[in-house]
Amino acid sequence: MAGVIPINVRRTNQNKARERTLQTSKVIPIFLTAIALIFFILMLIVPLVSVFVKAFEQGAGLYYAAISDPIAFKAIKLTLITISIVVPINTVFGLIAAWAIAKFKFKGKNLLITFIDLPFAISPVVAGLIFVLLFSTSYGLFAPLLNAWGIKIIFAPAGIVLATLFVTLPFVARELIPLMEAQGTSEEEAALTLGASGFKTFLFITLPNIKWALIYSIMLTAARAAGEFGAVSVVSGHIRGLTNTVPLHVEILYNEYKFSAAFAVASLLTVIAIINVIIKNIADWKIKQQTKI
Amino acid sequence: MSIEISNITKTFDSFKALNNIHLKINTGELVALLGPSGSGKTTLLRIIAGLERADGGSIIFDGKDNTKKTTQDRKVGFVFQHYALFKHMTVFENIAFGLKVRPSKLRPSKEEINKKVHELLALVKMEELAKRYPSQLSGGQRQRIALARALVVEPKVLLLDEPFGALDAKVRKDLRRWLRKLHDKYPITSVFVTHDQEEALDVADRIVILNQGKIEQIGTPEEVYDNPVNPFVYNFLGNVNLFHGRVHKGKAEFGSLKLDVPEHLEARDRQVVSYTRPHDIEICLEAQGHEFIAAEIIFIRAIGPIVNLEMKRVDNGEYIEAEISKENYRNLKLKLGQIVYVKPRDFRIFIPEDYVI
Repeated sequence: MAGVIPINVRRTNQNKARERTLQTSKVIPIFLTAIALIFFILMLIVPLVSVFVKAFEQGAGLYYAAISDPIAFKAIKLTLITISIVVPINTVFGLIAAWAIAKFKFKGKNLLITFIDLPFAISPVVAGLIFVLLFSTSYGLFAPLLNAWGIKIIFAPAGIVLATLFVTLPFVARELIPLMEAQGTSEEEAALTLGASGFKTFLFITLPNIKWALIYSIMLTAARAAGEFGAVSVVSGHIRGLTNTVPLHVEILYNEYKFSAAFAVASLLTVIAIINVIIKNIADWKIKQQTKI
Repeated sequence: MSIEISNITKTFDSFKALNNIHLKINTGELVALLGPSGSGKTTLLRIIAGLERADGGSIIFDGKDNTKKTTQDRKVGFVFQHYALFKHMTVFENIAFGLKVRPSKLRPSKEEINKKVHELLALVKMEELAKRYPSQLSGGQRQRIALARALVVEPKVLLLDEPFGALDAKVRKDLRRWLRKLHDKYPITSVFVTHDQEEALDVADRIVILNQGKIEQIGTPEEVYDNPVNPFVYNFLGNVNLFHGRVHKGKAEFGSLKLDVPEHLEARDRQVVSYTRPHDIEICLEAQGHEFIAAEIIFIRAIGPIVNLEMKRVDNGEYIEAEISKENYRNLKLKLGQIVYVKPRDFRIFIPEDYVI
């Protein structure tokens, strides 16, 4: 008996599937999938794998040496410091901006959205130049002030942090706004009618609802902060051991024909990217689960 | 707790949502705000809850001005149309939320919260679902949890925004009976918004009919149904037949139909409209004087105890709807295409200049 029922089930399932999909031969989907896969492998997987292959080309010893080299170490340290300053600031800003845009009506809302998008639209090199024009001690707009106080921003870590802040500003807000808008305000309103304060409403209702999108956007901000090249390159001045971040260090090694070392350091950034993709997938899945209602 | 709504006005951009609303809701009453979409009923409910701010006027709870109080301080229970349950919390946590977020001095102990939540779960008959998430519940169950969640803080006022609007017909009927019973047992002052006249007539102690930001009529279900003050209310509460005609010195003329209307003795050749409910249409097989109109039966629906008839007037081609008992229908032996004589048993005449419809 057990053998009979599944056959029937399968038949009805097949009928359903036939109704729902396009009436085409099997060749076309296979062909299209193959093209997509081949392109994907050529453009993404092969380069990604080659980074690691090249990095380990001359053995794990050289890989380790390239990473633990004092100058490389300083570059990693500067990158980590930049991340640890930029990510919290942009997370808080992004949360506030997304909250305001998604949950309230106010004048100038569209203007604010446009401003948030600005760093996406501006080339990173231009972004870097903006900061040079503002803060350069020789011809910057604030040069007299900076000289008087003895503050150095351009060709100093402060400039790198500023440039990175600018470039990574939109990520959190951009990720959260559509989700928060889709979720609406009724859960928050329900919490208010139950006597919850504004802060408790945010903590217990809003934050759990956007948790996964927030985690993903923080990861994205961190990855971009670690990998930013253009804007940072302009303001950095490439002073070894002082204003070199990981991507800048990779460029220097590469220009000095130290390919294995360059790829070894680059593989660190690649690992961050891979972790990022994994977290994005988990986050997407969790968001789908949450917005099922 | 009584609610007094005084002179409330609200404008969205250029749209006047509410215009000088005055309304007093007595302690323990169950009041329906009834109106078509865009009539301002939900806006009024949200203003009572403090979720929306009025441009002018005041909201008074038990004689105390609440206009400037925040939603949290008003202590109202609010049930949302789409439930607004906390998706990431279980049923239990949803209901417990109102108690858990109290400042630590006022917060009940864990055992007390537990007891109270189970009390409410029993009240809405959902004890076995405490550990479920909202996404695992049906619409009717979600709405009952939303109600339990609102009641946990023991509000003095319960506000319900289209509470049964998103449910299917059968569940809707069961739930509104249940709400009525619940209110009889625990008479919290309640206001609910609906666009469904049947729901309002079925559940409410009093009905407030809103249209375009204004109150058209306030009264018990019988009052508003039997004595609508104007054509809008007549139209909105159930089906009506419309007759266009003239009134002159107490005599009304609607095509071949002539009626005495003593209340319009002073009228001089005025255009009027008359309203009659389908169940107030009398049907005869033969004409008897001037009070009858000849009409042809064009549609019969004889399902259930009430038979619906659609007829076309012979004199001017206007349609008339009638509802008669099955017994009467059998006695008259009505058939499609038959010519019958129709008379409005009970009707009201409005002079349209007073009202724009």
